[in-house]
Amino acid sequence: MENFEYFAPDSLDALPGLLSRKRERTMVLAGGTDLLDMLKERIVKPEKVINLKGIAGLKGIQHGEGVRIGALTTIAEIAADAGLKREYTVLAQAARSIATPQLRNMGTLGGNLCQRPRCWYFRGREYVCLKKGGSKCFAPEGLNKYNAIIGGGPSFIVHPSDSAPALQALQATVHTFGPQGEDSIPMDEFFELPIDNLRAENVLEPNEIITAVSIPKPAPGTRSAYIKFREKQSLDFAISSVAAVLEMEGSRVRDLRIVLGGVAPIPWRSQVAEDELRGKKLSDETIRRAAEAAVSEAQPLSQNRYKITLTRNLVARTLRQLAAQG
Amino acid sequence: MSAKHSRPISFEINGEPVEILAAAHDTLLEVIRYHLRLTGTRQGCDKGDCGACTVLLEGKPVLSCLTLAAEADGCKVITIEGFSRRGEHLHPIVDALDEAGGSQCGFCSPGIILAAAPVVESGEPITRKQAAEAISGNLCRCTGYTKIIDAIIAANKAWLATHSQEDNS
Amino acid sequence: MAKWKSLKDMSILSTAYPRLDGMDKVTGRARYSSDVRPAGMLYGRLLTSPYPAAKVVDIDVSRAAKLAGVHVILTNLLEGKAVRYAGQPVAAVAADTPEIAADAVDLIRVKYEKLPFAADLDSAMQEGAPRVFSDRENIVAARRPTQKGDVDAGFAAADVVVEATYRTQVQTHSCLETHGSMVEWKGEDLYVYDSTQGVHSVREGLAKNLGISPTQVHVICEHMGGGFGSKLQPGFYTAHAARLAKKAGRPVQLMLTRKQDFLSAGNRPDSLQKLKLGAKKDGSLVAFSGTTWGTAGIGRGARVRQPFIYEIPNVYAEHHDVYTNAGAARAFRAPGCPQASFAMEQLLDEVAEKLNMDPLDLRLKNETNATRRKEWKIGAEKIGWQRRRKTPGSDSGPVKRGLGLGASIWWPGGRGTRATMTVFPDGKVEIRCGTQDIGTGTRTIVAAIAAEELGIGLEMIRPLIGQSDFPYSGGSGGSTTAPSVAPAIKNTSEKAKAKLAEIASGFFGASAEDIIFENGRVYMDKSRKKSMSWQEICQLLETQPLTVHGEWVEGLSSAGVAGCQFAEVAVDTETGAIRVEKVVAVADCGLVLDRLTTESQVNGAVIQGVSYALYENRLMDPITGTMINADFENYKIAGALEVPEIEVVLFDEPERGVIGIGEPPTIPTSAAIANAVYNAIGVRLRSLPMTPDRVLDALDAQPVTRKED
Repeated sequence: MENFEYFAPDSLDALPGLLSRKRERTMVLAGGTDLLDMLKERIVKPEKVINLKGIAGLKGIQHGEGVRIGALTTIAEIAADAGLKREYTVLAQAARSIATPQLRNMGTLGGNLCQRPRCWYFRGREYVCLKKGGSKCFAPEGLNKYNAIIGGGPSFIVHPSDSAPALQALQATVHTFGPQGEDSIPMDEFFELPIDNLRAENVLEPNEIITAVSIPKPAPGTRSAYIKFREKQSLDFAISSVAAVLEMEGSRVRDLRIVLGGVAPIPWRSQVAEDELRGKKLSDETIRRAAEAAVSEAQPLSQNRYKITLTRNLVARTLRQLAAQG
Repeated sequence: MSAKHSRPISFEINGEPVEILAAAHDTLLEVIRYHLRLTGTRQGCDKGDCGACTVLLEGKPVLSCLTLAAEADGCKVITIEGFSRRGEHLHPIVDALDEAGGSQCGFCSPGIILAAAPVVESGEPITRKQAAEAISGNLCRCTGYTKIIDAIIAANKAWLATHSQEDNS
Repeated sequence: MAKWKSLKDMSILSTAYPRLDGMDKVTGRARYSSDVRPAGMLYGRLLTSPYPAAKVVDIDVSRAAKLAGVHVILTNLLEGKAVRYAGQPVAAVAADTPEIAADAVDLIRVKYEKLPFAADLDSAMQEGAPRVFSDRENIVAARRPTQKGDVDAGFAAADVVVEATYRTQVQTHSCLETHGSMVEWKGEDLYVYDSTQGVHSVREGLAKNLGISPTQVHVICEHMGGGFGSKLQPGFYTAHAARLAKKAGRPVQLMLTRKQDFLSAGNRPDSLQKLKLGAKKDGSLVAFSGTTWGTAGIGRGARVRQPFIYEIPNVYAEHHDVYTNAGAARAFRAPGCPQASFAMEQLLDEVAEKLNMDPLDLRLKNETNATRRKEWKIGAEKIGWQRRRKTPGSDSGPVKRGLGLGASIWWPGGRGTRATMTVFPDGKVEIRCGTQDIGTGTRTIVAAIAAEELGIGLEMIRPLIGQSDFPYSGGSGGSTTAPSVAPAIKNTSEKAKAKLAEIASGFFGASAEDIIFENGRVYMDKSRKKSMSWQEICQLLETQPLTVHGEWVEGLSSAGVAGCQFAEVAVDTETGAIRVEKVVAVADCGLVLDRLTTESQVNGAVIQGVSYALYENRLMDPITGTMINADFENYKIAGALEVPEIEVVLFDEPERGVIGIGEPPTIPTSAAIANAVYNAIGVRLRSLPMTPDRVLDALDAQPVTRKED
């Protein structure tokens, strides 16, 4: 990687002076697992790198009325937290499914939400793809078995985060810090499709960082699960994943959230699937309809039609699993 | 290399304090292998996919190829060299991996040992699945992992045996 | 003819013992090529072509040359300026640090004239495809088709005939340590610390390449991080490093980056196989015909060994290598065999199904190898073959299980190794042999054989291997190492023993033939009335160590290996995921030298087979013609969580002596898995790897609607 100036501030106050409005001129380092990979491939060549690890107050999991998780909390800490496992199962399961033990020790929640696409055309130095300022997305005419089946165009990346679908299903809020001070963004509004924003996957400005994520306390009768499908269990990203949070009232689904991972350029909230179940009982038939609805918007590329079948089956499997918990 | 791009970093490696001048973009792996000449930490892929460069940072397995040396400033780092000193093996997984025949070409062995350390020391008996999970970030192209998993189970038992003795004494 | 002693008399060989260099490996002390760093060493780095077909018009190194810390830049790496695959080296740099070398490579401006390319088998076979070599067709004419009997008559006489097309993918060796060397000139002599499977072949090849005498080249390989066939030949990187070092007047280390390793350091060719097999009602195979194609990139050697293993009276088989704009193939663990096995074993199962015959019975009906006949039965019992689904795909529920099988084979033994042994007056024994240990435990068996023969402990032996200055031994390939090295070490030890027996006979006043060496002592005869310790007899050497030379001899090793495997899989029909739950590997072992290392090799061969069956696949991007998944994230290799339960059955026949065991157990794994998948879901997957997308697509293409569970 090329050299850069390195800063390790110990408080948020130092950030406005360091961060740049210009994308990729100054980059922040949290776990570093994604940033160093991109630096080594020379996909990004920042002048400054700001290590956030020394900033007080960005780490830790605080349980109260709901839970607040600092952006610098590691994925391993989230996966191991007993409170999260109990009440926010979908998040604990998602965290546990991420990457490898070493990467979970390094990677942070903020980093996981902000990680860049894994698409090989984006990662390959040889390709100046749409997301890197080029003129086209190579996926449609190239090798696209891992690319988007929903929400694609003009870029067909998929969002690689496992924690994001879980947090969105839990109606979390992202807390940020920038030159204008603190701000809060609901997860439903945090990510942006390529059609709205080609150069980034979320609404953060280059000079803003995530400080924490807060999740409201789940209503009584809430069940949740995250099922991730990957080609192998040792180090792999999701081909398709399902985060589901169900608020049950007796045998009826009072409300629910279904968010898909690995199939769209952003974590994909499937409201059409939710609509099939809201207010209804979980039965083979309602589950089948919800699963069918979840992929009703899908438009496959030349090599990823299987992701439709897969995603439909995963949605059904997740819902069946939650139904069985009753 | 301009001065602003280099900085002194001090940390503890295998119990010894070190201070070095490193470039901002030097990785912990480069510092360990090139500056400190501790070559037991291997470079396999240099992008976080193979686990050969695993070291313990503040007691936890991390990938030194994806860690900036600067991030280790003020921290405790343990490499494979820290698990044995002058013929004395300081961790049961070292002997267990040898005895079980868990190395072939041996290139992945140091990374595997450090990745396995936490689960060996977990304080309770572990399953084969848990042993496999602990090293699921480490590639081995030779052994088929089976004897490595045997070794982790054996080391976990050895650890439990010595530590329950300590508790009893 | 020489003979091994009987198993009951062996105290080391045939038992399980840890490798001698195990401690060096687990403590990180073991030194690999990139760990050798003499003072003043520079870091070499290659600039490689991003294009699969191009002409180099101009190379401008002016900016790179100005970079502080850059010592040498070479721009003459290409012969004739033609680039034929993406990843082909174009220029080389030596600099003070790896980062400066990388920066310098980025600053070199190469002007390419891009040319049309054909980077994969299908595009290269199309009519009008761009030619990889302007003077040759991409599809190479079949040479010496395999012909036997009368194929037409054979098919006419068959009761059932099955025709099918199978495909296998390009697999890369993916050694954990990339290819590379550290080279240092000392005067006119070149010292090469190489990650290699053949110190002697590197010496010969490098000397030729550099136009110097082999006597000037000294190749050293203490430890190396995996080869699997890809490190048998002298490396282009070694020659480039030698030139950089010569010009710089400094030692140079040149290790390929992981991506370069994927693109340029070898692979197993893919295959397209159109096959036809006929059998009689009783299961006897009567006719086979097949045409196969495969690409070894810009190289040759993609032959698929059809018809694989089974004796068929009427055969016609032809093969075509196909040139593509891709890195050349290299030998890869049982070249040509896993491809052939994957297709042939499935074809047999398809015949068995048509005949309504158990696939195992079909094998037994056609089995001509007495060893494998026994192995089939052992394997069937261990896996519980009777549990096999009589109706494929008949399990209820979304996860369906099945069993499958496949056979393995290997041909050559080994010969040609020489060794020197020196017995020192203090009792220590040094062996020098120019073989190398690629992780299989060669160093360990060298010591163990000597210890066994001399009746002393392993700790008394110092095995020195991995240097081209030592007596000749061949490359560690073709599973020839153990059958080549073991007899030579035994022969050398016998010679030392004979000399010592002469000394002992003088001392005891007895006959030299009666002297017995065991348990660290030397006995006058089998009465064991008079004896002295090993140390005592060595002290009689006084100041002059005893040195003897030995070589490979007939009778201690043999050729020909038979084996078989059974696999049990669980297929998740909702996700397309295949999980291999168990593999029983019956491995033909002859005389087992070390049970621990033997078992480990079989385990490793099986997991490579699982990985080949389910995950690994070199993907060539149709847009750029380069390998797009050249990293361990996207080139997927089985990890610890993908390991099935592996039951290794070491089928030993010690009377056959030492045979090679490294390659055969990786051959039938993918075939056994594929047959098990069919047994589980009733849909046949004829292409590797059997990834979830292919499983789901195959299930979706089924005309029969599956019932919801």
